[in-house]
Amino acid sequence: MLFQIAEPGESKVKEACKPRVVGIDLGTTNSLVAHVADATPEVISGDGGALVPSVVHYAADGTVTVGREARARAVDAPGDTLSSVKRLIGRGAKDLEAMRSMLPYELHGDDRAVQLAVSGGRLVSPVEVSAAILRELKARAEAALGGPVEGAVITVPAYFDDAQRQATRDAGRLAGLEVLRLLAEPTAAAVAYGLDRGSTGTYAVYDLGGGTFDISILKLVDGVFEVKATGGDSALGGDDLDRAVATAVLADAGLEVAATRSEEAHLAAAQRRLVAAAVAEARRVKEVLTDAGEATFTLASEITGGTAIERTLTRADLARWARPLLDRTSKACRRVLKDAEITREELDGVILVGGSTRSPVVRDFVAELFGKQPLADLDPDQVVALGAAVQADVLAGGRQDVTLLDVVPLSLGVEMMGGVVEKLIHRNTTIPCGATQTFTTYADNQTGFDIHVVQGERETADACRSLARFVLRGVPPMVAGMARVEITFLIDADGLLKVMAKELTTGIEASIEVKPSYGLSDEEVERMLVDSFEHAEEDLAKRNLAVERVEAERILAATRQAFVDDPALLDDDVRAAGEEAMKKLEAAVAGDDYLAIRHAIEDLDLATKPFAQKRMNRAIAAQLEGIALDEAARKVGA
Amino acid sequence: MGSPSSSNVAPGTAAPRADAFALLGLPVTYELDTAALERAYFEKSKELHPDRFANAPAAERVAALSRSRALNDAYQLLKKPVARAEYLLARAGVTIGDNERLDPTFLMEILELREELAAARQAGRLDEVGAKQATMAARRKSVLDELPALFRQGDLASVKERLIVLRYLDRYLEECDAILDSED
Repeated sequence: MLFQIAEPGESKVKEACKPRVVGIDLGTTNSLVAHVADATPEVISGDGGALVPSVVHYAADGTVTVGREARARAVDAPGDTLSSVKRLIGRGAKDLEAMRSMLPYELHGDDRAVQLAVSGGRLVSPVEVSAAILRELKARAEAALGGPVEGAVITVPAYFDDAQRQATRDAGRLAGLEVLRLLAEPTAAAVAYGLDRGSTGTYAVYDLGGGTFDISILKLVDGVFEVKATGGDSALGGDDLDRAVATAVLADAGLEVAATRSEEAHLAAAQRRLVAAAVAEARRVKEVLTDAGEATFTLASEITGGTAIERTLTRADLARWARPLLDRTSKACRRVLKDAEITREELDGVILVGGSTRSPVVRDFVAELFGKQPLADLDPDQVVALGAAVQADVLAGGRQDVTLLDVVPLSLGVEMMGGVVEKLIHRNTTIPCGATQTFTTYADNQTGFDIHVVQGERETADACRSLARFVLRGVPPMVAGMARVEITFLIDADGLLKVMAKELTTGIEASIEVKPSYGLSDEEVERMLVDSFEHAEEDLAKRNLAVERVEAERILAATRQAFVDDPALLDDDVRAAGEEAMKKLEAAVAGDDYLAIRHAIEDLDLATKPFAQKRMNRAIAAQLEGIALDEAARKVGA
Repeated sequence: MGSPSSSNVAPGTAAPRADAFALLGLPVTYELDTAALERAYFEKSKELHPDRFANAPAAERVAALSRSRALNDAYQLLKKPVARAEYLLARAGVTIGDNERLDPTFLMEILELREELAAARQAGRLDEVGAKQATMAARRKSVLDELPALFRQGDLASVKERLIVLRYLDRYLEECDAILDSED
């Protein structure tokens, strides 16, 4: 075995003259730090082992504790003890709407970033909480290495989008670390495995952590690690299994927690404690079931507020509750194999990463999914940090025989007229990379271009993540279609995107304004600390209502216009159904239930489908006379 | 979906790039040895990757970044058969526009196929969608298999015709994927 756990202080002497750089695995449940000594990566241990629980406790007096000590407070002070914040980082209130009822603390904030309320009304952001964990790891490394840490490679789930990456970078900055690189977790794991075994071939890395799932396909040849494709779900992990187990056991005991909670703004303190205790117990039972065939789930009566729960759970119970979650991972696995243009038979092996893959339930599932026994001989909790340490060493000018070819996890594009996304760089393109495309104007005498940069696989901009908005000004007035604006996307080896725009026909240097809609400036960080968002819940409902109303008005207007334009294509029964549906939608718009509006929109859509179909068919028939299909589809607004 | 922020940008054309075959030191041919392509790419990557230059002076770092980017772009163009064929056509001055005319018989056929697909989706018959996808994948492969001979004969017009057909077949396959993805 090449990797060892270093005793504190052991490596002080030999590391005296190299720049001190480390690899950090900032996990949902646990974090750890590793470094390279004598060309060998090793994990840095502290009190209680190498793993630092990713838990931060905020006491009423302002004291902040991190790790094991903080985790011990999770049951008695769940609202002030923040765990699994990785699931919240770089995400806005809208992203988290589905999850918020399952979180044991209060969420505040807007669509760009959330904050958590802790003792004394203090609000902390996931970036700050992550920074507290990073600071702890940094201190631990500095104690072990005997001096300041000069740089760090921090790992992130491969499937993290730009906002999540940027927020992680901000956390590093806040912790006083120079972030040398954000490295994808499965890639880091593959590096550790590849170097340990001198492996060559094509491997799948199945990485199921506490709160995120990644699947990557990598080719390993002679020190080159090429990511062929990556995918996953940045909101799926072992935490979900704990909650599924807790919810099922509580429900069987007649304590319907999840069902009553989703509509409530804030959990009652007692209920919050019950959920936290049940989830903690579920985690413990899950861990026991890794080695044992059965385990007892117990909750005392003072926590349940009634009868105590004592129930024997088997591995089969766990497998049953885990199945829906694991099925979600198999979908991502199939897609990534397809993207890599490889079959599971062609894989040389499957590598398991992440604490959740310790469970035999998960291992059996992966073995069945890929048709081969997965590799797990390196500690799945440590392998990511070890790989990160190797990459840190490479970047610090240490070893030069490792080359990582990473990819863009999600497609990048610009929004065009009508809200459609034109992708410039497709997912799974190796970085660094670039793409240039020329665009033109839709309107006469247009002198400015709004360029909206988005990330994601969906076809419409509003379904993708908004990254930045540019305004290109100073284009001389021209007839529509004359101006030629060249948009260039450049991605560096860090995965950071730079976008440039230039008008070609005139050669005039036009100015560009960049307004990043993610990532926080220092002033923003400060302002967010000061501002309080007391009405976050109401704001969210208001926002949803506004969005649905706008959409409803748009659809009503479009439908009315279409009825006037094409009476010949409108059958009487369809007209009657359509008008009825429009009346219902108008009534819904007058109310203030955004879900009712959304449903009425869907009903109107269904009622007028035969009519829309006829219009579509006619537009397509136009194709036969020489109009392109794309153009025709655009004309009917499909 | 109506975005409140609809941008006033229309699609245009892609810009030319440096010669991909030359960058990788490979002969200009459709029938590339894919193992040789990968070997060449890995060797060049070891030399050019920006991580090699992380501590070099700024000018060298910038140069390494753009060389590495060009290398990756070249590999991207050559590694997939359709992209490689399109690139070879572009090199020969044959472009495929967005509004290419299609054989009406083919168009009618593809429209019918898409309607059947939509019907299968609405009825929730996912097995049928899967079967249609497999049939189409086989058809795509048979069209792709015609390309080497056409390139050898220098019949670029036919290559272009096949590539246009492939775009429609690929779009159909993507639709199958989307249906299967969202429904399971």
